[in-house]
Amino acid sequence: MNSSIGVGGMPAASWVSTTSVSASGKRIQREMVELNSDPPPDCSAGPKGDNLYNWVSTIIGPTGTPYEGGIFFLDIIFPSDYPFKPPKVIFKTRIYHCNVDSAGSVWLDILKDSWSPALTVTKVLLAIRSMFTNPDTYSPIVLDIAHMYLADRAKHDELAAEWTLRFAK
Amino acid sequence: MVSDSITNAPIPSAPNSKDFSKKKRANRSAKLKQCKLDARREQWLSQVAVKSKGCKEEGNCAKKERDRSLENLRQRDEDNNDDGSIHHESDSESPSNSPANSLLGGGGGGSGGSDSGTNFIGSSSSRSSISGSSSGGCCSGSITEEEEEDGCLDDWEAVADALAADDDNNKPEPEPENSSSQSPSESQLSMHSDSTPELTNGFGLDSANSMTESARMVPRISGNNTQAWRPDDAYRPQSLPNLAKQRSFPATNRHFGHGGVPWSRNSVLGAPSSCPICYEDLDLTDSSFFPCLCGFRLCLFCHKRILEEDGRCPGCRKPYEHDQVESEASVQGGSFTVRLARSCSMIARS
Repeated sequence: MNSSIGVGGMPAASWVSTTSVSASGKRIQREMVELNSDPPPDCSAGPKGDNLYNWVSTIIGPTGTPYEGGIFFLDIIFPSDYPFKPPKVIFKTRIYHCNVDSAGSVWLDILKDSWSPALTVTKVLLAIRSMFTNPDTYSPIVLDIAHMYLADRAKHDELAAEWTLRFAK
Repeated sequence: MVSDSITNAPIPSAPNSKDFSKKKRANRSAKLKQCKLDARREQWLSQVAVKSKGCKEEGNCAKKERDRSLENLRQRDEDNNDDGSIHHESDSESPSNSPANSLLGGGGGGSGGSDSGTNFIGSSSSRSSISGSSSGGCCSGSITEEEEEDGCLDDWEAVADALAADDDNNKPEPEPENSSSQSPSESQLSMHSDSTPELTNGFGLDSANSMTESARMVPRISGNNTQAWRPDDAYRPQSLPNLAKQRSFPATNRHFGHGGVPWSRNSVLGAPSSCPICYEDLDLTDSSFFPCLCGFRLCLFCHKRILEEDGRCPGCRKPYEHDQVESEASVQGGSFTVRLARSCSMIARS
């Protein structure tokens, strides 16, 4: 499976640094296989087209949150030196969340400084999913939303549900 | 005298010899290889397999029996030759001789011996006694002849051995049966039983040939054995020797035959088979590489890569020990520590 898929993913080599293409490619392939065999709940992910380093993912808003029922699309972009550097996760669906900036970038510590090569896409998706339930108001990227969450939770949830209804359904 | 020896023979070789004797009798009566029933044949094959495993068992187990039977044979021979004047002497000797016999030709002699004893009972064949006399002169030399003549083991064994040892070309060509059709099987069987105990014991190799043969034979045989019966298996035929003290031999032989496969298995089980970072297989060096106290293991390449940049263990996120100064230097920003704690909680959640 490695070689065949690897060849498919290798066209990416033109824009990927030549040093660790094979290593990161193999790792990403394995993650793809494992993710497909045992996907986390309400999550899916896979390469977009034939580029192994560019994935698209969907997360269904967990029940009990203002994001319930929404389908959120994310782009996952792997750097060439993955897994030593974290993947970049971007919401393509607009979301009212204090850890997602207006461009859709996810600001999670595990995707920044706390990234570990031992983490996988599966774990990142689980972390994002838990982020729906428990926003990280201690290190928010959108301060207004974090303030709203802390000061007036009902209002925050109402706005989040409204955005979900408008953009994610 | 002769009658004495005959009567003595069956007694020492307890259940085994009886079983053999049955088969032999059947052979005798039939005198044809084809007249065996399939069921019995299977049983025989399995027995042969076990026997091979149990070359140790059988060989060893049969040691005493064989020794005794050998003695009996000898006695017989001596009786025939010397009119039994030496009979008592040989009898007294038997215990002391037993180890030598087992080493030299215990297997062949044993199997032949036990069989021969039974044969005598079933039909006191003058032949066997004659052959015994011819072989009686020297223990080692007598083995083959005894086997051929007494031959006792079944065609099953011949078939099984032929199947098993088909590729062994160096085996002595099954000679045209002088006395009975069983001779080839006998010789082959004797080789099995002879070679294995020697191998397990690690000494007493008669020749390079036997060594190579035994080396060849043992793995295959042991493979069959492990698939057949363990000493404690409930379905193990009762006819098989049940000697507690020889259990050690099967164990050793099993290890021997598999050539350290369990070792490698264990090592693989103990550690991840591939690096969790790059998913490359861990080689020998990697698998003995414990970079962090938390137990997270990875290959040397990934470890070096992490040391160059991050310097923290991917499993516990603590800096690798010998890199502590560097990592502390990178921590400069005060807020970092807070984030680190946060990240830890995040991991726990995910």
